[in-house]
Amino acid sequence: MKEEDMNKADFFTSIFLFLFGLIIFIMSLKMPTFREVGADPYSAPGIVPGILGVIIACMGAILFFRSVIRKGYKIHISFQSIMLFLKNNSIKRFLIALFLSLFYVIFLGKIDYFILTGIYIFSFILAFESKSKKNIILALLLAVAIAASISFVFRYLFLVTLP
Amino acid sequence: MFQGLIQLGNELSQFLTPRLIFDVLWSTQLGIIVGMLPGLTATMGVALMTTLTYKFASSHAVLILICMYIGAIFGGSRTAILINIPGTPANAATTVDGNPLAKQGKAGSAMGIATTGSFLGSLFGLLMLAIFTPIIGNAALSFHSFEYFWLTIFGIVISGSLTAPKDPLKGWVSGFLGLFVATIGMESMHAYRRFSFGNVDLAGGIQLLPAMIGVFGFSEVLMVMKQPAIKIVSNKIEKVIPSLKDIAKYWQTIIRSGFIGTVIGAIPGVGEDIGAWVSYDFAKRASKEKEKYGKGSIEGLVAAETGNNAAIPGAIIPVLSLAVPGSAPAAVLLGAMLIHGIRPGPLLMIENPNFIYQVVSMIFLATCAMFVLGLSLIRVFVKILIIPRQKLMPVVFALCVIGSYALSSKMFDVLVMAVFGIVGYAMKEMEYPVAPFVLGIILGDLLDSNLRRSLILTNGSIIPFFTRPISFVFFLFILITVITQMNWFKNFLKAFKLAIKKPFLKMKN
Repeated sequence: MKEEDMNKADFFTSIFLFLFGLIIFIMSLKMPTFREVGADPYSAPGIVPGILGVIIACMGAILFFRSVIRKGYKIHISFQSIMLFLKNNSIKRFLIALFLSLFYVIFLGKIDYFILTGIYIFSFILAFESKSKKNIILALLLAVAIAASISFVFRYLFLVTLP
Repeated sequence: MFQGLIQLGNELSQFLTPRLIFDVLWSTQLGIIVGMLPGLTATMGVALMTTLTYKFASSHAVLILICMYIGAIFGGSRTAILINIPGTPANAATTVDGNPLAKQGKAGSAMGIATTGSFLGSLFGLLMLAIFTPIIGNAALSFHSFEYFWLTIFGIVISGSLTAPKDPLKGWVSGFLGLFVATIGMESMHAYRRFSFGNVDLAGGIQLLPAMIGVFGFSEVLMVMKQPAIKIVSNKIEKVIPSLKDIAKYWQTIIRSGFIGTVIGAIPGVGEDIGAWVSYDFAKRASKEKEKYGKGSIEGLVAAETGNNAAIPGAIIPVLSLAVPGSAPAAVLLGAMLIHGIRPGPLLMIENPNFIYQVVSMIFLATCAMFVLGLSLIRVFVKILIIPRQKLMPVVFALCVIGSYALSSKMFDVLVMAVFGIVGYAMKEMEYPVAPFVLGIILGDLLDSNLRRSLILTNGSIIPFFTRPISFVFFLFILITVITQMNWFKNFLKAFKLAIKKPFLKMKN
């Protein structure tokens, strides 16, 4: 990431960290102290997360001021810039990989493991290769072989009940 | 001393069965392959292997994991030399002189030297592990909750500073976020469910292994797919076995790098990559042939590879003596030991004194296997580098999914892996190091219980945190680490140096 973009990213992250730390702190304050059952007040479950929340919020604040000094707040978001970002080949590859992998996780346990793994591997390979007949057949063979191997090894050698 | 040697011999002989030798060979070779493939790191390899071996007997499983760890850190040197891309982050320093040597047509000898350097580095680290683990373990027996509290903060602060030298604040943010993640779920004193929002799975807490598989596995899959494809340039591989003269010439560099690598490895959450860079830097400063560095210096290559492999036993020293990992793969190793019912830490020497000798024997066997495999079958296994990423990465992700699920057959663990994978990816993109984050997840429980215990003991007073001798030393180290990273301090130091130099410069003129 370029330094200019990093400052912008830091600006957003700092706000997130500050709010996140603050929320942790507030939630920690609301945790019970168990004094009513005779527990020591310093054994309260909210002490450590509360302190961590304050530290995270403080670091978020430092990051915020630093990014403001470095002009990280100057953000120009336009429709064109978003389109340009999405048309970037790296971003496209990242989004395809992310989408396919999340699809695999979401449908895990809902579709038979062997079939789902096969579909995932097949679609992943083809998403990044030309759709020639040779590539499709090779991807299909690989998907079946890999899905079968993983299923067999985990089911019969490691005795794991497949999802 | 002799009793220790006899004990070590006994433990070593127990591992010398055909079945275990076979396991040592395949797991080390698999580690070398994992290390060679850019995008597959030692941490990912050890984490995935933990899920595959969790039904094995404890010593058998730990042996395989150590072989994978040593093999992977070494394996990354192949890619660093051949295609100028470190196979694992630990081999980044290897590219500086390894690849120029390959370009000069000396790929084979560079790989041979890297193998020998790694072998000697591992052996040096092994010796340090055998000597210092019991000493540190015994010293840690005098630690109380105050010292453990500072130890966790020290680990986070130093790991954050060293893994994010450009911006230590991000390293510290990462570490404290990890500490927060560890507080999710049921706490130990009142069984109160923190941040679980009524969810039963969250009440059980975030398990270390699925989180690590996500941070080091899934995030790497996304990273690799985002980056442009790597072009493999074929290198002719000639003679691999290095001459003794070549190695003997750099004996000082080997000892220095072995020592530095081990010490850096032993610092919590820092790891092999920093070990290699610091060793390389020291070797360059002390070298008589500085001009060769960056252009194919054998000494530079030896320093980097000795340094990163020496850091492995180094990183295991605090695992065994303090239950604090020295690096990310060592963190997984610690998690695996806990899964297998081994309780590393100061009490290990009392509860299971043979285990340290077992680990020494395991590292020794893995190092020997790495040396033998590293000098043979090179031409065959280099061909693995041509596997295109779109065929390899879905397999890696499928293994991440089933590996996370296999531990306790819970879909929640798969979700944890996916969420932490995306978080890990975002952190890497924004230059937040993930090693302190993982260290935070591991140390969170130690911090939580020891801080509260200390406060109960002192009735809320924080004075004993600063007046106990070991606590004060830890506090001082933390303070120095934080202050030296501040810009105002750096500017002050610069001005101070200039002020001292000024009168001398005037005298010269």
